[in-house]
Amino acid sequence: MTRLVGWLGLALLLAPVGFAAWVSFSPDAFLTPPTGRWSLRWYGAFADDRRWTGALVRGLWVAAAAAGVALVAGVPLAFAVARHRFHGRSVAAAGALLPGFVPPAVLGLGLLPLLYLPGLNGSPVGLVLAHGLLGLPVVFLVARAHLGQTPPDLEAAARGLGAGPWQVARRVTLPLLRPAVLAGALAAFVTSLNEGMVSLFVAGEARPTLPVVVWNELRYNVTPKVAVASCVSALAALAAVWGSYRVFGR
Amino acid sequence: MSRATSYLLASPAGVLVAGLLLGPVVLLVRVSLYEPAGGRGFFVPGTWTGDNFAAATDHAGLRLLGFTAAFGAAVAATAVALGYALALFIRSLGPTARRVAVAAVLLPKLASALVVMFGLRQLLSAAGPVSRGLVALGVVAEPVTLSRNVFAALAGEVYLVLPYAVLVLLIQLGRIDPAWEAAARGLGASRWQAFRRVTLPLSVPGLVLAGQLGLMCGVGAFLGPMLLANPADQTLAVEVHRQAFDRQNWPRAAAGAVVLTLTAAGLGALFALAARRSGGGR
Repeated sequence: MTRLVGWLGLALLLAPVGFAAWVSFSPDAFLTPPTGRWSLRWYGAFADDRRWTGALVRGLWVAAAAAGVALVAGVPLAFAVARHRFHGRSVAAAGALLPGFVPPAVLGLGLLPLLYLPGLNGSPVGLVLAHGLLGLPVVFLVARAHLGQTPPDLEAAARGLGAGPWQVARRVTLPLLRPAVLAGALAAFVTSLNEGMVSLFVAGEARPTLPVVVWNELRYNVTPKVAVASCVSALAALAAVWGSYRVFGR
Repeated sequence: MSRATSYLLASPAGVLVAGLLLGPVVLLVRVSLYEPAGGRGFFVPGTWTGDNFAAATDHAGLRLLGFTAAFGAAVAATAVALGYALALFIRSLGPTARRVAVAAVLLPKLASALVVMFGLRQLLSAAGPVSRGLVALGVVAEPVTLSRNVFAALAGEVYLVLPYAVLVLLIQLGRIDPAWEAAARGLGASRWQAFRRVTLPLSVPGLVLAGQLGLMCGVGAFLGPMLLANPADQTLAVEVHRQAFDRQNWPRAAAGAVVLTLTAAGLGALFALAARRSGGGR
C-alpha cells in the first residue's frame, strides 16, 4: 500500500512534463492530447519557424559558454577554499552560493542595464555572464565536495617529487577533479538552457532564447508548438548529458 | 602555496559575483530612490525620493508583502513534507528501483520550469483530465477550470522545488546508519517509535536545509503565480516584473526588488534562527 502511494507520488512528479510531451503530438490546434491519431505536425511547424529554431540554437551556445564561465569562476575558488587558509575564506565560500539565494526577478531587474551598455547591446554576452553567475553555486559545491574527499597527500607527493604548482594543478589536481568538473559543468549547462526568468529581463526581444519565446507564447496565443519546444529542449539537455558522459566520462 | 595564490584563484568568482550581483543590487537601491520618469526614460536623474518605498509599503503593498511571505512559507512547508515522504519511500527501495525513482525525481529538472507550468495548466484546465475525471465521478456537473487559483500556483512552485528537497533529504537520510533504527526495533520500539525517536531527529539538518531552499524559491516565486494564479493573487516578484515591463516604472520596480530581497533575507534569517533555537540546523 505504502509502495503504491510512493510510486503514484513519483508518477505525479512526472505528470506535467509527460502530459506536455503527449500534447506535442496533437494533430490539431487544440491543447488536448491525441488519443486516436498522433501527428508530427507541430514538430514540423517548430522546425520551419526561424524564430524558434534560432532561439534553440542560441540557447545551446549561451548554455555552453555559461558553463565555461561557471567553471572558470567556480573550480579555482573551490580549490582555494578547500586547500588553503586565507582571510575571507568563509566569505568567499558564502559569496559563491549567493546567486542561488537572490530571487531571479531581483537579479533580472538588476542586470537589465547590462542590455544598454555600449558594446553589449544586442549581444548575448550579458546573458552568458548572468547564466554563468547562476551556474556558479552548483559548480563550486560539487568541486569543493570532491576536493574534500580527495586527500591532499597526492598533491604534496607530486610537489615533493619536484613538480611546480602549475604542474601539480595540471597533472594531479585537475585529473582527479574531472568527474566533479563534468557534473558541475553539465548542471550549469542545463540550468542555463532552461533558465527563463533572468533571461526574460536580460535576453531582450530581438535575440531571445527558447524559454523566452515560450514565455511570450504562453502569455498570449498558446499552440501545441509550446509543447514541442519543451520536448525538443528537454531532449537537447538529455543528449548533452548523455553525450558528455560518453566523451569525457571515462 | 602563498596567500596571493589563494586570492588569485578566488578572483574570477569574486569579479563575477561583485560585478553581476553585488554591483547591480547596489545600483537597484540607488534606482529605487529616483523619481519615475513616467515613460520618458528610466528615471529622472539627480533626484532623491522615498515615494517608491512609500508606495511599496502602503496598504496594498503590505498586503502583497504578506501574501508573498505566506506563499513562500506554504511552498517550503509543502515541499519539505512531500519531499521527506518521497525520500523515505525511495530509501526503502532496492538498488535498481531506487535508481529509477531518483531518475524520476530528476527528470523534470531537465525540462524548463515553463514546461512544468504549461503541463500543469493543461492538466488542470476545464478540458483537462482532472476536470473530466471529476465530471465522470459525478463530483461536479460541468467541467471546471482548476488552474487560475492560488492552489494551482502553489502546486506549480512546489513542483519546481520538490526535486531539490528530495535530493537534500536523500543525502541526509544516507548519512544515517540503518543499524541505529534496527537497534531501536531490537530494543522493542515499534516502527513508528523507531522513526519518531531515531530517524526523524537525525533528519533535522536535511529538513532545515530543504526548508530554507523552499522558502527562498517560494518567496521569490514568479512563474507559478504569474501563469497559474488568479491575477488578484500575485507575489512581489510578479509585481516587480509588471512595474518594469508593463508600467515602465523602473524606480518602482527597483523599490519592489529591494523589498523582496529584504523579505527573503529576513525570512531566511528568521528560519535559521528558529531552527537553531530548537536544536537543529547543525
